[in-house]
Amino acid sequence: MGLTSRGLEAVLAVAAAGLLAGVLWLWPKLAGRGIRMIAARIAALAVLELTVLGLIFAVVNRSADFYSSWSDLFGAETGSGTIIAGQYSASQAIAPVAVTGSSAVRLPGRGRARAGILQTVRIHGQLSGLTMPGYIYLPAGYSAASRAARRLPVVAVISDQAGRRAAPGSARRLAATAAVQMAAGRLRPMIVVMLPSRIGQDQGCLNVPGGAQAATFFAEDLPHAIGSVYRAASPFTRRWALLGDSSGGYCALQLALTSSGTFAAAALPPGTYTAPPGSGEFGGSPQLRSQDNLAWLLRHRPMQPISVLLFARGRAQPLLSLVRPPMYATSLGPAAGPWPLAAALDWIGTRLSRSGLAEG
Amino acid sequence: MGLTSRSFVELTIAAAVCGLAGTVWLWPRVASQRIAPIAVRLGLVAASQALAVIALLAAVNGYFMFYGSWSALLGGGTARSAAAAGTAASQRPITITATDLGPVPGSGSVLPESANGKFAAKPPQYYAKHHTMAKHGIVGGPSLNGGLSRAARSAGELLQVTISGGHTGITSGRNFVYLPPQYFQPAYARARFPVVLALTGYPNEAWSLVKFLALPATAAGLVADGKIRPAVYVMMNSSVALPRDTECTDIPAGLQVESFFAQDVPLAMERTFRVQPSGSGWAALGYSAGGYCAAKLAMMYPYQFSAAISMSGYYNAITGSGTGSLYGGSSAYRNENNLYWRLRRLPAPPVSILVTSTRGEGAYPGTLAFLRLIHPPMRGYSMVLAQGGHNYGTWHRELPPGLEWLSQRLAPARPHVAPGRAAALDRSADRISSRARADPRPAARPRPRAARRVRA
Repeated sequence: MGLTSRGLEAVLAVAAAGLLAGVLWLWPKLAGRGIRMIAARIAALAVLELTVLGLIFAVVNRSADFYSSWSDLFGAETGSGTIIAGQYSASQAIAPVAVTGSSAVRLPGRGRARAGILQTVRIHGQLSGLTMPGYIYLPAGYSAASRAARRLPVVAVISDQAGRRAAPGSARRLAATAAVQMAAGRLRPMIVVMLPSRIGQDQGCLNVPGGAQAATFFAEDLPHAIGSVYRAASPFTRRWALLGDSSGGYCALQLALTSSGTFAAAALPPGTYTAPPGSGEFGGSPQLRSQDNLAWLLRHRPMQPISVLLFARGRAQPLLSLVRPPMYATSLGPAAGPWPLAAALDWIGTRLSRSGLAEG
Repeated sequence: MGLTSRSFVELTIAAAVCGLAGTVWLWPRVASQRIAPIAVRLGLVAASQALAVIALLAAVNGYFMFYGSWSALLGGGTARSAAAAGTAASQRPITITATDLGPVPGSGSVLPESANGKFAAKPPQYYAKHHTMAKHGIVGGPSLNGGLSRAARSAGELLQVTISGGHTGITSGRNFVYLPPQYFQPAYARARFPVVLALTGYPNEAWSLVKFLALPATAAGLVADGKIRPAVYVMMNSSVALPRDTECTDIPAGLQVESFFAQDVPLAMERTFRVQPSGSGWAALGYSAGGYCAAKLAMMYPYQFSAAISMSGYYNAITGSGTGSLYGGSSAYRNENNLYWRLRRLPAPPVSILVTSTRGEGAYPGTLAFLRLIHPPMRGYSMVLAQGGHNYGTWHRELPPGLEWLSQRLAPARPHVAPGRAAALDRSADRISSRARADPRPAARPRPRAARRVRA
């Protein structure tokens, strides 16, 4: 009779019930004195108890699939299986970065000297499946052979202004600002990636439950895509940073707080961050909604090993009071201007060089 | 008195014997055929039966270590919730609490079954035969104070560790790290080793991976036979908050278990040992609940884990009273943790997964359904045994071919050799792996010979 058969369970159940009834009913016949009577009692009880234990074992074993057969139970099964590889058609890999345009970045008042390249790109995230339009600034000397072995730090700028030509945060102005700072020696060479914060209805760079996985795109796809195409540092070396503007500030802080393994620093505008911008997608879960509140994250999660720059504009910044080591936060006052891009980039440069590890 | 201690198990057995003896003793006093004495008889039989069941449960639990302590069984123990104290990251991420090579400097504890430096190299049958229940005495062994011992260079070292996650605030104790002998050899002094994260089922203790699955012993044997390349194994309890069944899930506004394994553990390992940081240098394996974890980690973090083995795993978390609410009441978030749903609705991740099952298992149809959903760039591999159940015997049989499969997908540790000779070593290593693939018989230890030739 099979170890996992219902028959075994039935036999044991019937036997247990019969033994119990028999013991209870025939009890007086074993109540006498003498060693034989005592031995008979012990035998009757032991058989009953072992039958019940056997029944329990059979039921548990069958429900949990522990042992499939008697030989399996007694360890007599030997030999292994063979591994069968699934047959798949060749997959068509989508290029992680498609460059659709490219132009030279020039420094103001320096004539035609090139100070890096600004590329218009589409970045495809393999895990999220999202494709995002963006811009990539490659600093002067990026393509020089002498630096071929060096991997550069990366700052990801999250802003809906990047695509607008006239905006103060347009890609061209951002690239020019970075170029000026680098030419003046205030900023070490780094790659600047500019991306929008708005993905469908989501503006918070969140993984919408059951929907667009923007956090996966920024925290996992983006470093992998950039690292596979450009000479960009691995996030493991703590040389990736985020810069948000009024539209991407929540994104920058949210990603730094939840993906501190990828991003080491974030610079962002003032904000309350009690809820994500836009509609806020939390799949009907109040717990997921709490998590989307960045003040909640600071109160309830361990401090992340990240550096944060807040533009406080002289006002008391409620988030600053929540920050404790190993997280580091500082603020820039009103003297830095309405959108102090240069100051933000300089600060990111110092944080990345401080936290950066040696990388060949 | 510890839940799995020998004295507790002996106490329950003594209680069961006393129950039986008491019933035999009182037998004649309730021997008349009236309602009241019959009811008393039933009570006596039921009480002694209950004591027998308790003794059986204690003995089975003591042997298999489903619950390793009272707090793991009843709760209220060391399970840490994410505190905002900000202290975790400033601590060392990995604290060594015991080793099989003698006392740990400063704490003086060794593993319960120290085998004086031979631990990792013993065949798995050794542990089945020589297991003594919870003998937590301090056993002498070669001291680590004098630097790396000869034992470590020949057999590797097994460490008991506590891992603290700076990102999630989760601390998980009584886990194990196995460092292969090559880790201590001069040729590999600067090499970074690949890492295999091994996860237990639920409920379980990480020690089961050492004792029943015999992962270090099996890996050491396969390396010695030249069938796999050396790797570091970090063996962990898939439950970080026993008795709760957390199913490697980032619980909304709760324990971030998935992030703990995907981010904190790799970072802690990379900071503590000479290991590769991510990608082709990392893989995950597990059985039962640990199989679901391994598959999920690889599918959700394929840039961290490039391959996974799920032994008798399932592919959607089994929720119930043990798990509590894992998804914050969101059905959409629950879907995201369902690996079938992910394969149907999200882009397939670039990972290779080996799934194993047996034809008799309840999880077999689900395993086949999971395999059918896999599509490029994901790659599915399967191993199905004709016989076997949801037990260590089955998983132990599946382990050697599984580790060979995994080794072919992991970036190896590169020994340091003189320039120009590295290519020769590479070629010999390639020969080994192709031979191991073609020939199921043990190869005659070609790797150490190759290493000696190069150093000479």
